[in-house]
Order: sequence, then structure tokens, then C-alpha cells
Amino acid sequence: MSDGRIDVSTTLVVNGRRVTRSAGGHVTLLRWLRDEADVLDPKYGCGEGVCGACTVLVDGEPASACIVLAAQCEGSAITTAAGLLDDDGEPSPLQRAFHEHHAAQCGFCTPGMLMCAQAMLADGTTRSRDEIREELHGNLCRCTGYQHIVDAIEDAQGAAR
Amino acid sequence: MFVKPFGYVRVASLAEAADGLRESDGGARVLAGGQSLLPMMNLGLLDLDAVIDVSHVDEARGVTEDDGYLRIGALTRHREVHADPLVTSRQPLLASAAGRVGSSRIRARGTLGGSLAHSDPAAELPLAMIALGATYEVTDGAATRTVRADEFHVSYFTTDLAADELLAEVRVPTLGPGWGWGFQEVSRRPGDFAIVAAAALVRLADGEIVESRLALGGVSERPLRLGAVESSVTGARAEQLEERIGPIAGLDPVTDTSATANHRRHLARVLGVRALADACRRAEEAA
Repeated sequence: MSDGRIDVSTTLVVNGRRVTRSAGGHVTLLRWLRDEADVLDPKYGCGEGVCGACTVLVDGEPASACIVLAAQCEGSAITTAAGLLDDDGEPSPLQRAFHEHHAAQCGFCTPGMLMCAQAMLADGTTRSRDEIREELHGNLCRCTGYQHIVDAIEDAQGAAR
Repeated sequence: MFVKPFGYVRVASLAEAADGLRESDGGARVLAGGQSLLPMMNLGLLDLDAVIDVSHVDEARGVTEDDGYLRIGALTRHREVHADPLVTSRQPLLASAAGRVGSSRIRARGTLGGSLAHSDPAAELPLAMIALGATYEVTDGAATRTVRADEFHVSYFTTDLAADELLAEVRVPTLGPGWGWGFQEVSRRPGDFAIVAAAALVRLADGEIVESRLALGGVSERPLRLGAVESSVTGARAEQLEERIGPIAGLDPVTDTSATANHRRHLARVLGVRALADACRRAEEAA
């Protein structure tokens, strides 16, 4: 361990699939998902937990996967945007709303936006546009396509009620 | 984000963590929520042999009330502090401050003790603690001692914690009858660290300030309580605050990419007045 690396075996339930991988204890959840488990929808943006591109749900709670260690999540259920698809691989109502409202431009922020939105829908609160924007402040869209994203979430929460 | 590898150790108690800190001889840090520590690792600002993960320790989590105080476990998360019925009813200033930390993701994982031990001079929670006159219980696993918030926060990212000590519990005085509170901040975007923040408490009698506490964050190496301003507003009504409070002395703000030192001095006074005015309004409403 001359380079300080100490491997840790971690088992996570990723989008309903049980995955065990051994990786350095310093490896973030984001790198573990992308490099070890081939789950590529969470994106690396800032590495500081600021941009939201890596947002996933850890046991139902939103987290920046770039500032959580995979080893900290041992045994947890991880949901990424791909996990929102239904059993037939069809998009969820939220994903359909993003599609219908053209809420993805370049698409880089979209997986994180979807998971932030999913956390909003899951807590059962119906939010105003301002409240949706407030919740989204930790997710940056560098195409600045926020109007369409807010439209989509507003629509999806209406449909979910 | 190609960080230099480091070890990961999960512990089941604060005592075990203190042992780990002693064994590491300065090479390890405590990982609680990790919402400040891991960004620092990703940015290469820290070089560690290992992190000691206390995030699964249950002993230091939750809020209880104890004769004029709230006792809050250091591992209680920001979201829990923000929404806890005891905190929102007994010390709403703290609930408000906790709700201003970062984004919902950060509040879901970040811990009260982690933020306090990190001791960012612009962070909301150390400021709230100094305004409220909180005390901290710190432990090395064997012995526990009590430190006042204004003595714990020493300087930029520097606290009174010894190398093998952890924050275990925070004791926050509850809001007494006749008191109101205010919390004001200016930041570039919602959820960013404050450029300047102000926390105020006021007790009114017949609409006049009898007692007050005012603290500012972002204007020095640590949050500052402003005794001179507190004295100057005694006997004032809310609408007289503007004239009573002059330029605030004793601040040592820096110029950085967010704001100039002069801008910070300006904000210090503006936000101090607003926070005190909010506190007066809430004290009136409660009366």
C-alpha cells in the first residue's frame, strides 16, 4: 500500500440490482458507479457538490455522489436516472415530462435534474414554481434551460397527484 | 477528481474514532457527513492517510430538551436540525440557520458537528452558535470537556479541538419569553456561503430593547459577537436602529472574489440593522 490505497469491498443495490465491487476506500460513490459498476448516467461536473450533475438517491435521499464515499454507502439502495425507467424500460411520467417539455438541451445536467426532481415528487409536497426553483438551486444547467425544466417538474407533479 | 488514495475506517463509537485519531498521529481526519471534507479532498486541499467514518455512529444524533437548553448530538444532520419540532419551537434562529446551509443534498448528509468542527468563518452554524451563546461537549473517548462556542472557533478552519478530540454534543440555550430573533445573509446564490451574515436576538419591554445579542459572520477569521453594538441599541425601538448603529468597529474583513473588504463592512452594518429589526418584530409578535 505504498500509494496509500486500501481496497474495500462494497455492496450496493444499484437501481434494484445488487452489485459488489472492490475498490479503494477513497473512491467516491460517483467513481464507483461509473468506473466499477458501469452505471454512466450520473455525471462528473464540479467535484465539490455544487453543480448537481452527479445527484443520485441514496436510500431515497438526494446526494451528490462526488462527495460521498462508496464505502460509506455499504448496503444502501442507490437510484440513478436509469433506475426511473419502469419494468418494461419505458420512461417514467417524470422522464416523459422532461421529454415533452424539451427539458434537456445538451443533456449533461439532466440525470442530476431528474434525480433532484424525483426527490421532490417523492416527498409528496406540491410545489409552486418558485419552490421548484428553490429546490433546484443546487443543480446547474449551463445551457440555462431552466424554464423548460421547471415546466416539466410542474407538469410531472400535477400528473403524479 | 483523481485524488491521492487514502484509507477508509468505519467506527461504531466516538471513543473508537478518538483511538483512531491517536493511532494515526495526525494523518487521519474524522469523516462525518463529508460535505466539506470530501470537496477539500477532491480539490487537493488536504493530504490524508485515512478518514475515520463516524457517520454510522448513533450515539451522537438527535435533539432533546433539558431545562432551558437543547442538547443536539453532533451527528444530527442539517435537515434534521432544520425540521426538528423542538428546534423550530424552542430555538427557531438555529432552525433557520440550518435551513440555509448549502442545498437539500448537503443538508441531507451534512452534520451539525461536522460544520462546527470545519469552522468556516462564513458558515451559518458557527455564527448561530456564537450568537446564541452555545457550548460544545468535546470528547477524547475517555474524558469530556465543555467549550464555549466563542472559544471553540479560533480562526479560519481552526478550532480548539485537540488532535484526538471530537465534538459530541451541542448545548443551545432556548429562546426565552419576550425574545425575538433575526437572521440575515447576503450570498451570491442561494445556498452559497454567505458573504456576510448576521444573527440577532432581542428582548423587548414596552417596545424598547432591554437586552440584545448580535453576531456577524464573514467579516473576520471567525464569527464575532458585537458587544459595542449591543450596548448602543439598549433602549432603542426598532425604528431607531438605523440612527443608533453607526459604522461597526473592530471588523477585519478580507477582499476576495466574492466581495471587497469595504463591501463587507457595508453589509455588516446593513445586515446587522436588519437582523435586529427582524428580532424586534418577532419579539413584538410573540408578546
